[in-house]
Amino acid sequence: MNLPSETRTGLPAAGPGSAARTRSRAGRRRRRAGDRWFRWALLLPALVVLLVLTVWPVANLVRMAVSTIEFGREGAEFTFTPLRNLSRLAGDELFLTNLWTTALFVVVSVAIEMALGFLLALMVAGVPRAKGLVRTMMILPVLVPPVAIGSMWKLMYNYDFGILNQALGLIGLGPIGWLSEPSLALWSVVLVDVWHWTPFVFLILFAGVEGLPREVIEAARVDGATTAQIVRKIIVPLMAPAIAVAFIFRSILAFKVFDQIYLLTSGGPGTSTEVVSLRLYHVFFGQNELGYGALLSLVIIAAIVAFLVTTRGLVGRFAR
Amino acid sequence: MTIRSFRQAFAAGLALAALVGAPALAEEAFLDVGKQEPITILINSSPWYLGFESVVDLYTEQTGNEVKIDATPYGGVLEKARNAVRTSQSPYDILNLDSGWTIEFYQSDVLRPLGEIVDGYEMPKEVFTCGGSYFWNAEKHFRTAEGGKLMAVPPNCNTHVLVYRKDLMEKPPATWDEVLSSCQKVQDKPKLYGFATRGERGNGIHYDFMPFLLSYGGSIVKDPEAGDYTVTINSPEALQALEQFIKIEHGCAPDNVAAMGQGDVIQLMSAGSAAMVETVIAAWPNYVDPTRSAVVDTVAAAPMPEGPSGRGVAIGNWHFAIPRNIPDERAKAAMAFIQWFLTEQAQTAYAEGGGIPVRADVLEKLSSQPKFAWMAAYKTNLEAGKQPLGFAEGAAVEQVIGLRLNQALVGEMSPAAALNTAAKEIEGIFKQSGRNTGMLDPLSE
Repeated sequence: MNLPSETRTGLPAAGPGSAARTRSRAGRRRRRAGDRWFRWALLLPALVVLLVLTVWPVANLVRMAVSTIEFGREGAEFTFTPLRNLSRLAGDELFLTNLWTTALFVVVSVAIEMALGFLLALMVAGVPRAKGLVRTMMILPVLVPPVAIGSMWKLMYNYDFGILNQALGLIGLGPIGWLSEPSLALWSVVLVDVWHWTPFVFLILFAGVEGLPREVIEAARVDGATTAQIVRKIIVPLMAPAIAVAFIFRSILAFKVFDQIYLLTSGGPGTSTEVVSLRLYHVFFGQNELGYGALLSLVIIAAIVAFLVTTRGLVGRFAR
Repeated sequence: MTIRSFRQAFAAGLALAALVGAPALAEEAFLDVGKQEPITILINSSPWYLGFESVVDLYTEQTGNEVKIDATPYGGVLEKARNAVRTSQSPYDILNLDSGWTIEFYQSDVLRPLGEIVDGYEMPKEVFTCGGSYFWNAEKHFRTAEGGKLMAVPPNCNTHVLVYRKDLMEKPPATWDEVLSSCQKVQDKPKLYGFATRGERGNGIHYDFMPFLLSYGGSIVKDPEAGDYTVTINSPEALQALEQFIKIEHGCAPDNVAAMGQGDVIQLMSAGSAAMVETVIAAWPNYVDPTRSAVVDTVAAAPMPEGPSGRGVAIGNWHFAIPRNIPDERAKAAMAFIQWFLTEQAQTAYAEGGGIPVRADVLEKLSSQPKFAWMAAYKTNLEAGKQPLGFAEGAAVEQVIGLRLNQALVGEMSPAAALNTAAKEIEGIFKQSGRNTGMLDPLSE
């Protein structure tokens, strides 16, 4: 029912045109309110997914981190003991070693993978024929299941009959304990990671190289720029977004490395290859210390977030 | 002949026939368990698994009862078992648990005492109790037959044996010093290593170091059964044992010994590349299988070498346990299998199939046969067997010792520093559990 305009505004009616405007404003307000609800309703499924798959598990992790958890016939029993886990963390020198080993692993493996991936992308982009075939061949290591990679490299690294020591034997060297020498084991594992993940970096950067505007490069060449200058002044800046994406993806994945180290060395010898994920595994599944494991998980999550926040600025600047 | 005298003569004849025929019948007759529900067994695919599989086939054939086996690599068994007891109904009717894991399960009361399934059930007296790890005393929180309930039975009672090449040595070494001197005499590295045992971080080095530790009079904890959890791993005896262990490993084993696991050690002996190895008896089938071994005719087993305190043997046995969260019919079917499995006949068949029997009478009976000559060494070692980690924190303590020993072996720490660090960490674990604990004065580093 339409009310007279003065009853709604408190002002004398200004005529039929004014009443129509007022009605249309009210209609717009109603529509806006409706739109707002509709927008929230559309967001609802995403919010539910976020709550169920992210917020709730993290909240549960926090609850576990401040508890001692024991299993009985009635299921898990949580006892609120925040200081117990925190005091253990404060005295856990091994965890600091694990963080250091992880950082070393991430920095070295990602740096090598980025450099190699970039070079390979440039080289394959310059291949005149069968580029598709070469690209497919290049990415094969990414497709191999991690368990197969671990087994294959473990055999290659084998002290007695591994192909690497056999090859060294042919030239009168070795054998070398690739996985048993504390000073060498981490680098042996890094080599496997580089072999496994460089093709991933290559794939992303290759797409970037293929998308570069040819005319800019040709113009630079005509202007007398050297290859090094073209790469440094044109290709790298233009590919910065792709490089940033590859770098962030690889860094996160390298931080979480588990399977290949578990299969190759189980963290040994000593602590030389024990990265944080492996330590988590030992705490959760070997020692059955769920509360302390949860606390370590939170520390690792915080470390990854800190890393992302720090690198975001740097990468953003680089990408611009 | 009167009717009475005829009856007497007939009865005497029957008795005589029974006496004469009894052994033959006993050899043939297996336990009749009747028709049972199908069962599923979670078991590790360890070296003795094939022997177990053959005896399960025999059970199925004899009884018509269905048995499914989930043979899982060692690393996955614990999590599968944990998940099984934490669900509403376990998919497994028998869980095979390693010695170190059992306390977690006993303590959380997720297993059924066997006497609750079959009223008053007790293990046959011929079956080894393997250091008492099949019993749980809930009041003491300790695995002991004294006041403890029977929670599981042994599918094997694993101990170390010294495996050696009789073509290279006239007699096996009797002491650790003799191991060192014999190895130096026979070895020709890298073609032939004198001696090897596991050096890899974790359970491997921890378990294989135990014969050294125990034979030198060392221990991990003072008297856990009496509630005294004073940590003793950093005693002078333990230091001597560790120094001897490192000396032998560095002097006789391959250079990569710090990364060597059970498979590597077994392979070394099977390939004819080692004169002596210390492995569990369960690995024996690998050495005498012509398809896998180059030393079938020259390999022999001996009791573990002695140290200043005699022979030290750690038992690393397995446990068949029945989860609480299965229906009664399935629990009864699982018990039927267990009872059948522990009979003399089934254990003999188990040995024939490559398994490691757990009955003294079967070992006695078979050890005179050349192909079962290893049984004498196994029996001798079992007599000295101990359960060094018979407390609830066993798994965490093993992780600590397994890491620190490995660090000492690779030279990341001195032996004294490794033992001091381990002692401090183990004391921390016990403190967190509220135990009456402490540690010895640190060794001089």
